[in-house]
Amino acid sequence: MRPSALNRPVRKSIYVGIAGLSLMGTVAGCAPSAAENNPVSTAGGASAAATTPSAGESALASSGSSYKDGTYSADGTYVSPNGNETVGVQLTLASGKVTDVQITQHPSNPNTRKFQGEFAGGIAAQVVGRNIEDLNVSKVAGSSLTSGGFNQAVEQIKSEAQ
Amino acid sequence: MPHGDWAAFSFEGIGTHWEVSTPHVLAPSAQQDLLALVEKFDAAWSRFRTDSLVSAMARKPGSYSFPAEAAGLGELYRTLYGLTGGAMTPLVGASLERLGYDAAYTLRPSGGPLPAPRWENILDWNGTSISTTAPVVLDVGAAGKGLLVDVLASALEAGGVEAFMVDASGDLLVRGPGTVRVGLEHPYNPAQAIGVVELGGRALCASAANRRAWGDGLHHVLDATTGQPVRTAVATWALADTAAVADALATALFFVPGAVLEESFDVSWLTVFSDGSAAFSAEFEGTLFA
Repeated sequence: MRPSALNRPVRKSIYVGIAGLSLMGTVAGCAPSAAENNPVSTAGGASAAATTPSAGESALASSGSSYKDGTYSADGTYVSPNGNETVGVQLTLASGKVTDVQITQHPSNPNTRKFQGEFAGGIAAQVVGRNIEDLNVSKVAGSSLTSGGFNQAVEQIKSEAQ
Repeated sequence: MPHGDWAAFSFEGIGTHWEVSTPHVLAPSAQQDLLALVEKFDAAWSRFRTDSLVSAMARKPGSYSFPAEAAGLGELYRTLYGLTGGAMTPLVGASLERLGYDAAYTLRPSGGPLPAPRWENILDWNGTSISTTAPVVLDVGAAGKGLLVDVLASALEAGGVEAFMVDASGDLLVRGPGTVRVGLEHPYNPAQAIGVVELGGRALCASAANRRAWGDGLHHVLDATTGQPVRTAVATWALADTAAVADALATALFFVPGAVLEESFDVSWLTVFSDGSAAFSAEFEGTLFA
């Protein structure tokens, strides 16, 4: 049934490298609450981050391994053929827990401002999420595959913190 | 599935999960045909296997004959290469490898960022014939998944299957009567959707730069040169007749406004930005939650 040797991504894959981050802003106490094993990228983390800041409550991993306290940075670069979209991840660890998470982007696309041009259609000041399980939908169109960049940055941080 | 009683045929292909839904269970032979097409596609286009055509091309320049789907793909890429000022190109492969995204998954850069070579200097893509004047790492990732969706759709139609849906892990194509309610995945929360689209007879593809905590943090990330919050596209959707076009345009939306793409393509589009705002063409009006 399953073709072997096909389990390699053709797109939306990941490069993770070490890089320092310069964060120009703060997350202001909105460190995403972490779900179980993956502090900042798991389902529910997003809206939860907005409503239930829970810095300091997030176990970095359930494996029992220990991590050195400190602040760690890594870049996850999403390198689909549209070029590099880099996400910077900075985690602060204390007593094996994530006490702060800061995310930033390094917009590399000079066309960004063009997005603000005129067009026929509409704009929304703020998109609103609703739980998919509450929606009567058959499918979801999204890019779940692209979470890897973030996840890998986190994994790298975990390995360096050990 | 479009309807609760449809049958689903699931498999893994080109690094992602696939589901083909049909009113009746696909015959085993039809299933095998689809898997064979996936394998054939991978053998031609994957730069992650040494026996692929693109790997051969990376080793030695020359003229290579690709499968039939290459013709439309070449035109699509050439158009978008122009519209994006060269930013979107199938010649990005070596740049990706330089950054460590190579066949061995080094995930370590082997040097500084490497700009892709200019198309006109190195590549002649004429229908299914691709000729190069230097070793080229071709990467069709921006449209590849959608293209394979179309390849499978053509096979289903040729086999007399008139109603079906192909789901390539979130890139969708629906054929036949009726519509399917599709949630638009929240860029930062896969448990949520930001809207619902009724998809019928067309393809809906998505692209996202990344996923992480929602914009509360990003609201506070300022561009020091402007004092404004950083605002860049983080998730895009494109509706088009074919999945290849929808897939490629979802990527192109990271480079050019949807309105520009509308001038060259029959497309509806939605772009969500890092500050949580969104812009969309007329067809997406009313699909977003408020």
